[in-house]
Amino acid sequence: MKRLRVRRVDAVIPTASMADIAFLLIIFFMLTTSFSPVKMSVDLAEAANREEVEKLAAIIAIGPNGDIEISDGLQPGNKVNNLDELDIFIKEVLATDPTKQFIIKADKNIHYGAFNALYEKLRSNNCRRIALLTEAKPEAPR
Amino acid sequence: MAIQIRNKIPAEIPTASMADIAFLLIIFFMLTSVYSSNYGLEYGLPKNEDPINVQPLESMHIHITGPGQFTIDKRPATLEQIAAYIDSKLKQNPKKPVIIQTDPDVPYYATIQMLDLCKQLRVENVSIPTNSEVAMWAGFAGGVTSK
Repeated sequence: MKRLRVRRVDAVIPTASMADIAFLLIIFFMLTTSFSPVKMSVDLAEAANREEVEKLAAIIAIGPNGDIEISDGLQPGNKVNNLDELDIFIKEVLATDPTKQFIIKADKNIHYGAFNALYEKLRSNNCRRIALLTEAKPEAPR
Repeated sequence: MAIQIRNKIPAEIPTASMADIAFLLIIFFMLTSVYSSNYGLEYGLPKNEDPINVQPLESMHIHITGPGQFTIDKRPATLEQIAAYIDSKLKQNPKKPVIIQTDPDVPYYATIQMLDLCKQLRVENVSIPTNSEVAMWAGFAGGVTSK
């Protein structure tokens, strides 16, 4: 009697294309990630009508506790301790480029008074363009 | 004479660890990246030497007194009512300015909410006075009546 030969196929997971997939993912992340010089994390207010802000604009962030962080858009962010330091920063930025845009990245729950203090400094230094950073408003369920 | 057989070692670049390196790089990028929103409401400011060109009596005056608490031309209103009011006024005069005044202790998002509404309604002239301007402007501080 003949013995039946069972052909054994080795179980192999093909991993040759794994590196390609991983590198594609890296390229995707690198292209879609936008780096912000200001690292302060804030909860932004929501708005439906938004425009893309200027790249390399100066950034002023106001955190939930009223902390202020500034960056001219190129250098990493620095904390400011009082409004006088903020005033000096605004003057310096506008001295190099009087039309520079200021992005205000403020936490949605801060009091308007905190924003107003910054707004008054920008107005008194003759800043012409500001952008109030917002998050996309989720669409209402139909 | 016997022919010598050379043992040929195939030229290979070891790629087994490539995926590990790539995934490590992905993890590195994901952990070190700070995602930021690049969209917002753009707002042009007037020159300091410009005369004040928004006359209280000619404009619509929105006063935000608390979260979700608004008055328009001294009358309490909801967001929907404000939208309808502005829309009807803009039909008569598309250049009619809107002044948004916010009390200092109101959360900041209420102002953004109102500014967003004005953008949606395509209001051309939106004015956000500073608190010191509000205090200075005697007629403005007392409230405004619409024409």
